Amino acid sequence: MNAPTLASSVVALAGGGSHTREEIGGKAWSIQQMLGLGIPVPPAFVVTTDVCRDYHRAGRVLDEKVWQQVVAAIAGIEAAVGRTFGGEQPLLVSVRSGASNSMPGMMDTVLNLGMNAAIEERLAVETGSPAYAADTRHRFEEQFAKVVGTTAPQDPWEQLRLAVCAVLDSWFSKRAVAYRAARDIPDTGGTAVTVQAMVFGNLDDESGTGVLFSRDPLTGSPEVYGEWLARGQGEDVVSGRSDALPLDALAAAQPDVHAQLMAATATLEAEGRDVMDIEFTVQSGTLWLLQSRPAKRSPEAAVRSAVHLAEAGIITRAEALERIRPEDVSALLRPHLAAADLLASPAVAVGKPACPGIATGVLVTDADEAEDRADNGEDVILARPTTDPDDVAGMAASVAVLTEIGGSTSHAAVVCRELALPCVVGTGADTLMGLAGQVVTVDATNGTVHLGVLRVEPPATSDDPVLATLRAWRDEEETA
Amino acid sequence: MNHEALRLFQAVRLKGRALPVDLAAAAGLPLAVAGPLLDDLSASGHVVEARERIKLTPEGRAALEELLAAERAGVDGAALTAGYHEFDAHNDALKGLMTRWQLKDESTPNDHTDPAYDQAVVADLVVLDEGFVPLLARFVALAPRLGHYPARFAHALEQIAAGDHTWFARPLADSYHTVWFELHEDLIGLAGLTRADEAAAGRAL
Repeated sequence: MNAPTLASSVVALAGGGSHTREEIGGKAWSIQQMLGLGIPVPPAFVVTTDVCRDYHRAGRVLDEKVWQQVVAAIAGIEAAVGRTFGGEQPLLVSVRSGASNSMPGMMDTVLNLGMNAAIEERLAVETGSPAYAADTRHRFEEQFAKVVGTTAPQDPWEQLRLAVCAVLDSWFSKRAVAYRAARDIPDTGGTAVTVQAMVFGNLDDESGTGVLFSRDPLTGSPEVYGEWLARGQGEDVVSGRSDALPLDALAAAQPDVHAQLMAATATLEAEGRDVMDIEFTVQSGTLWLLQSRPAKRSPEAAVRSAVHLAEAGIITRAEALERIRPEDVSALLRPHLAAADLLASPAVAVGKPACPGIATGVLVTDADEAEDRADNGEDVILARPTTDPDDVAGMAASVAVLTEIGGSTSHAAVVCRELALPCVVGTGADTLMGLAGQVVTVDATNGTVHLGVLRVEPPATSDDPVLATLRAWRDEEETA
Repeated sequence: MNHEALRLFQAVRLKGRALPVDLAAAAGLPLAVAGPLLDDLSASGHVVEARERIKLTPEGRAALEELLAAERAGVDGAALTAGYHEFDAHNDALKGLMTRWQLKDESTPNDHTDPAYDQAVVADLVVLDEGFVPLLARFVALAPRLGHYPARFAHALEQIAAGDHTWFARPLADSYHTVWFELHEDLIGLAGLTRADEAAAGRAL
């Protein structure tokens, strides 16, 4: 009987790696793939699924030799980012579970591990932001207690050991076992543990964080579209802080980093064969990519980007035709709400379209009041839980009608179709009454309600070059 | 309050804001009869006139609710509720017809340029109406105030049959749909239910 070769117990992730999902789990595998494309990803190592099996076989004891390899692998990360775990310039890490396929019941992520009172102070001095350091520590301690199930100790190494063991333990959590049993997945696979450096966008003036799309997700035009926040942390941009700047600001401040970012974006788009949504952080002049996934996009962008991707040879014409949904094209050919406005004011209520059209007005929840205000020259949108006959006069005086309960054959729908009034029905109980008195824009073609005044874009014309290209490709396909 | 006056009072509520001539028609009364009754309601502060249209005051709404509650107390509730549940199937059929009248499919409005299509829907409405007449007669027997409904349905149907299709679903006129909508509201009230509860139960949508 051979002892397992410990050389394969802990693996530093690198571009040339050829480890399988079974060995290192899905999360580490995707990091390995990104590194293989030359994408700068924060350095990481993985405790392999072999360790999980040995750990449970040994009665949930982590082999000391494996632990020594973890310590050595941390040293590798320290060297790569120039920071020290528990040191003067502290390194913080994230710890994640990762089976070959994602599995409910496994341990979630712990972020900012390696934090304690002393580290908080050092980080406060280094970033010049005591509030940020305190918040990071608070969030770490809360998450650690919830996920690992015990109060975080002060010693970073003890934190790491507990978190690694908690991930390994979670392979046999009740939920994970039940999940596997229900799907005939054997218990022998085990989970890996991925440990990755946290990077700081708020360290100094050479740091920052941003989000970008490889193409404009609103118009589909082929320029990279994104935002950059100097001295910001990841959440700051995602949550839409107002002082974010266009990517040109990064190009001006750090041209090399910007060029690297554009190259990585092109690589990821070619690899993903789609418009990508990418999160990145720059730490003291070094670029790191944190996440890359296919981007959500407006109907217009869906149509235009598919055509552009095919023209650029990234996807085939047939794929482009397959990706473009008829409803995306129809949306382009109707008056539609400006995509930028939709992004700024997403739907606050969604129901079923009963009669199409777009209207803006003040939301009123009483038919009498709707009539009075309409008589005074206001544009009124009548919203009711459900409509009674006595609401009809108020409906007729309004520019659009909304109901919380009801379907497309409801009285409200019948009445509005007769009056050609934009109407959305069935937005759900208690979704509208709270909006009384606010100015809203109703897109009854799509069944959405938005706060404020949204601009209406005219329909695309038949001589729109992208639509012309699309028609030509369709004709080719039909005659082929 | 007699049936005629209560019909008129309820018509003021169901129409929201209407001209006296339309209220009289909806209550099945000559204007010579309805006019003085409306004057009485106005004198007692139950209705007000705004730009020639009559609407309920809050006091009027409360008074009407009391009168309807008294009426409900005198009706055979079990028989009415049983009838109301039978009405449900007719209601679904009517809503289906209305939708066919307005939409050829979910995203294609009926532009009424296809006489054969429209005629088929009208023919189905005639069949539906015939099937509904006996149940409506039972409702009138249970609650005599509803006695004006048969003539209102018949009138709308006559207009449609004569080729004026606005009488099918036109709001703010006594179209077939409007009369149905109002009858449904009356039945909900007589059964001691509320439209919100009925809508939540999927019956008054």
